[in-house]
Amino acid sequence: MQDDWSLLGPLQWIRYVNKRVTVTAGKDEERRGWLLTVDPVSASLVLVDFREDGGTSVHVVMGHAVEEVQVLEEADEEMAERLRTSFLPSSSCSLDP
Amino acid sequence: SICTSAASEADPEQLQREQHARSVLRESFLRCLLSMTDKKVQFHMHEKVKVAATFGASDIDVLNFQVSNLHTPIGVQKEALIRCQDVISFTFDA
Repeated sequence: MQDDWSLLGPLQWIRYVNKRVTVTAGKDEERRGWLLTVDPVSASLVLVDFREDGGTSVHVVMGHAVEEVQVLEEADEEMAERLRTSFLPSSSCSLDP
Repeated sequence: SICTSAASEADPEQLQREQHARSVLRESFLRCLLSMTDKKVQFHMHEKVKVAATFGASDIDVLNFQVSNLHTPIGVQKEALIRCQDVISFTFDA
């Protein structure tokens, strides 16, 4: 789908946010989850998986190891909100100036 | 490695859009790193090696992770640095 994941750049990466993706990495590793963000420095993907037992698993795939990223589906409003709030600090501390 | 801007240098609007996207993505990534502090993390390395450790911190370039109680096949290392180049992925429970 893409030539080299780590060279895509922020405007391309951000299009994958809030999508459920399958990431192939290394020789034979495959990870699936909702894409929360892509670190613009290392191109690493953060995938979130809301388990049925109520827990949340987070998989981070290092940008250098990414072979392929496939989009499976897009988040609805509810899922997007869930993703947006999953790592917000309990106290309201914004990094914005 | 910090990648250089893919946006055309001649187009300031494009550059600004790119910078905004970059900051949104990075803030979210940093919050994720913050939430990992003191959590048990499973690292998947090359050659199917899996190790577990308690996450401490990452450097800004995401080149090394500082961890504690690194469980390796030959014993437990109290404090360690993991080279990110050796890691394929890692997993933790939020």
